[in-house]
Amino acid sequence: MKVSKWSERLFGTPLFEPLVAFSYIFPLLYLIVFLIVPVLSMLLIAFTYDGNISLHWFKSILMNSYYIQIPPRGEFAQKLTTSTGESLYLIRGLDFGVVLNSLVVAALVTLFTAILGTVFAFVMARYNFKGKNLFRIALFIPLLVTPFVNAYVIKQMFSEFGLINYIFHEVLHILPFRIKIDGLAGVVLAQSMAYYPIVYLNAYASFINIDPTLEEQAENLGSRGFHLFRTVTFPLALPGIAAGATLVFIFSLEDLAAPIVFHGDPLAKKLMSYQIFSKFIYGLGERSPEIAALSIIMLTLAIIAFLGIRKYVSLRQYAMLSKGGRWKPRISDPKPWQALLIYLVLLPALLITIFPQLGVIMLAFSERWTTTVLPQGFTIDYVKEMILNPDVRRFIVNSLTYSGAAVILIVLLSITSSYATSRFKGVLSPILESIVILPIAVPGIVVAMGYFYFFSAVTPENSPLNPTSLYGFNPALVLILAYSIRRLPFAARSVYAGLQQVHMSLEESSMNLGASRWKTITGILMPLISLNVFGGAMLSFVYSMSETSVGITLGSINMAQAPITAFMKEVLMSAAGSINIAAALGVLLIVVQITAIVVVNVITKQRYSFIGLT
Amino acid sequence: MVEVKLEGIVKTFGETVALKGIDLHIKHGELFTLLGPSGCGKSTTLRIIAGLDFPDEGHLYFDDEEVTYKSSSERGAVLVFQNYALWPHMSVYDNIAYGLKIRKFPKQEIEKRVKWVLELVKLQGYEDRYPTQLSGGQQQRVAIARALVVEPKLLLLDEPLSNLDAKLRLEMRSEIRRIQRELGITVLYVTHDQEEAMAISDRIAVMNIGQVEQVGTPKEIYEKPKTEFVASFMGKTNVIPAEVVERDGDKVTVEFENFRLDGLTYKENNDKVVLVIRPERISLHPIENAVAITGKVDLIEYYGFFIEVVGLFGEKRIIARTINDKDVAHLRPQGEVTFYIERNDVLVLPKQNL
Ligand SMILES: Nc1ncnc2c1ncn2[C@@H]1O[C@H](COP(=O)(O)OP(=O)(O)OP(=O)(O)O)[C@@H](O)[C@H]1O
Ligand SMILES: [Mg+2]
Repeated sequence: MKVSKWSERLFGTPLFEPLVAFSYIFPLLYLIVFLIVPVLSMLLIAFTYDGNISLHWFKSILMNSYYIQIPPRGEFAQKLTTSTGESLYLIRGLDFGVVLNSLVVAALVTLFTAILGTVFAFVMARYNFKGKNLFRIALFIPLLVTPFVNAYVIKQMFSEFGLINYIFHEVLHILPFRIKIDGLAGVVLAQSMAYYPIVYLNAYASFINIDPTLEEQAENLGSRGFHLFRTVTFPLALPGIAAGATLVFIFSLEDLAAPIVFHGDPLAKKLMSYQIFSKFIYGLGERSPEIAALSIIMLTLAIIAFLGIRKYVSLRQYAMLSKGGRWKPRISDPKPWQALLIYLVLLPALLITIFPQLGVIMLAFSERWTTTVLPQGFTIDYVKEMILNPDVRRFIVNSLTYSGAAVILIVLLSITSSYATSRFKGVLSPILESIVILPIAVPGIVVAMGYFYFFSAVTPENSPLNPTSLYGFNPALVLILAYSIRRLPFAARSVYAGLQQVHMSLEESSMNLGASRWKTITGILMPLISLNVFGGAMLSFVYSMSETSVGITLGSINMAQAPITAFMKEVLMSAAGSINIAAALGVLLIVVQITAIVVVNVITKQRYSFIGLT
Repeated sequence: MVEVKLEGIVKTFGETVALKGIDLHIKHGELFTLLGPSGCGKSTTLRIIAGLDFPDEGHLYFDDEEVTYKSSSERGAVLVFQNYALWPHMSVYDNIAYGLKIRKFPKQEIEKRVKWVLELVKLQGYEDRYPTQLSGGQQQRVAIARALVVEPKLLLLDEPLSNLDAKLRLEMRSEIRRIQRELGITVLYVTHDQEEAMAISDRIAVMNIGQVEQVGTPKEIYEKPKTEFVASFMGKTNVIPAEVVERDGDKVTVEFENFRLDGLTYKENNDKVVLVIRPERISLHPIENAVAITGKVDLIEYYGFFIEVVGLFGEKRIIARTINDKDVAHLRPQGEVTFYIERNDVLVLPKQNL
């Protein structure tokens, strides 16, 4: 019977309880030690020059035309002639310098995905048309993550003799010339195609959640058509759309796969993510303050976007539940011109954006893919090799092990943190709440850099935990930690949502009847949220398997212990193996993801939930 | 059985002061009710006694032991939640047996007791059902059984009947009373329904905005309300603002509209008063020594076994109630009517800022 003022302040309960304290302290400390401190250790390097605190490295970046180039250099598109004598437009984009290029690319990708995602979402939410269910399923396909090979297929599609030219130039004659997309334009294209379903899912949820009576009221007052959309529907859905778009902005900023795939064109290398990555790979062991400074710049941009959207969305939490009454969704049949738009514009766009995943599958089962429209020669050799060749299988085993271990940590972290933040209102609650979702805003390559500095500083020299070790670094621990941090928001959101659905009186009545807190958590709470925990765990497992940034940097220092993505990157960058094997691994990841989606769907009877920012 | 004492309990939630200093003394084996309008702090008081919330100031005693900050699980004051809080993943049997398992009762003893309590709440044969397969009334009885089975020192009931239909309410009300008498436990009952409070309680505490306005037996509270708030909260009554115009010791003359009532008893200093007159105390036929006031008939309402006459006296409406048809036979809408009121049926209370 001891009342503690500080326990009340910090944890929101006047009776100090070790279990409650643990729920706060464990995730908080974990994230501080394995996210905040490593990232801060980079700050130290970036702000030091000649032993003094200085902005030198930031100045030198911002003054250097390699990083900031205004006006931009180069030609957006060049007219060339193919070997067959046809005219060919090569589209690469303009060079604004590394820092601005990253921003321009991210801004364009955000814009394109926002438009495409919103249009798809609106059509799916409001219209009934033939094939809608196929649309719905197809829209999930671009979400299947197959690092590198996906972008590789896109590059092939948009090459001189690729699928796009075949269809639109050779068959349909819509294009009077051939096009080829490379460089920064290629990166924008690949990212837009991969990320627009993120906006789609967020926007779709927003449209569905709009109280129909709000629109009916506006119609009743005389608003119709586009005016209704512009004045009521769109503003109400905007927070959701903006949240999705911001996520895309951050993903684009940190993406490495597309620049690596397009790195044959030097312009694609002029992106912050690629610059940090390549300095890391080629200058291993050095502490480059310039790169640390560049990482800080990238991190700052991502954090600004992240904080901006959280603030914006929280300001616009429209209470949308109607006060009783019917909730008849507003679904109508499209007018003829709308149907035309759906089948002539959206359908082709959808087909084009799902082609990369199909291409990966074809690639995995074919002998070669050079200058033909589609891969040639069916074979299962590569799939066989992936399974049978111990040199390849090793990567799968590594990834499974690391992801599995990370998921255990993630489950523990998301249960403790969600329990603390949903059940107690101490001053630490909002801090914990933000810090748990913060990993979304920290680019993977920044985590990798931070870990590199951090672990080489705090672990004994030449121990297997030290990335600069001469006797072989074992990345297992570092990768497990990185996965657990980077994928935590996926599971934490799911568990938190589960906890919010369990009324607190269910736990209170258990404790009131004499059960301890531990007994209440294990006997009452856990059974009630087990499906949310399971769903979150599956999601974070799946995305740990396909984690790229840390895997291809720290993870590839010692290939014996490297994960799948490190091997895929080797294939693409140094032709260490055949691209078909990388594609086979991509297929494996697709299978894992689809299995997870189906299992989560069947067991939890919930719709597969992708991640949002709020 | 336990005696509960609250001394100066204060509780704030951020800016809201939910309890402004509550003093209560609940005796052994008593059925004690907290009555008050929504938001007055009844649930908060109950949660503090249950150990689910802790007060900012004040002390709480069970018998002579201070339990203000004892954890809920060690307190033995079992709460039946307003929403029942049955665990949806457990059967009726498991829900009820939960507290016994925590107390490490042997299996046979658990079975015996669950059987006993299910009989008590008349739910034999429902052991294997899940909460979602029960009606609201059945769920509520499971919630009560789950609390009773551990034989709590103190049973706390938070508006346990509010989700039930009128008939089931009456039934359950007497059930609770019966069980409480049978087991002789101390029960603290929360409701905002004054009729329910009157029917069930040994004593009632009427609460208003975080304060206790009056404690007493149902009869005391109904017949001798100490404040305007209590008077107006205890059922349909006439509350007439008036002013003291003459004083002679304890005796005063008051005036409202153009009516004067003399010879009323009033001991306070405040001249702004209210007159509280129960409708059933107003007679429609002459009584000796009563005050008579004449006004217009505004409305005559038939309620079945009684009739209400709403009279208009100046601007003021006053209700009289009778069970005799003959009393109203001669009345016509807008016609004249005279109310006869005995002086000791008029309660003069200081005006409150409600
Ligand atoms: N957890 C809380 N946070 C903030 N304010 C609260 C909280 N619990 C209660 N309050 C406030 O304290 C006051 C008393 O609330 P309480 O729930 O005790 O009322 P009540 O008498 O039980 O009302 P009802 O009859 O509606 O159940 C109210 O103003 C309420 O808004
Ligand atoms: Mg209440």
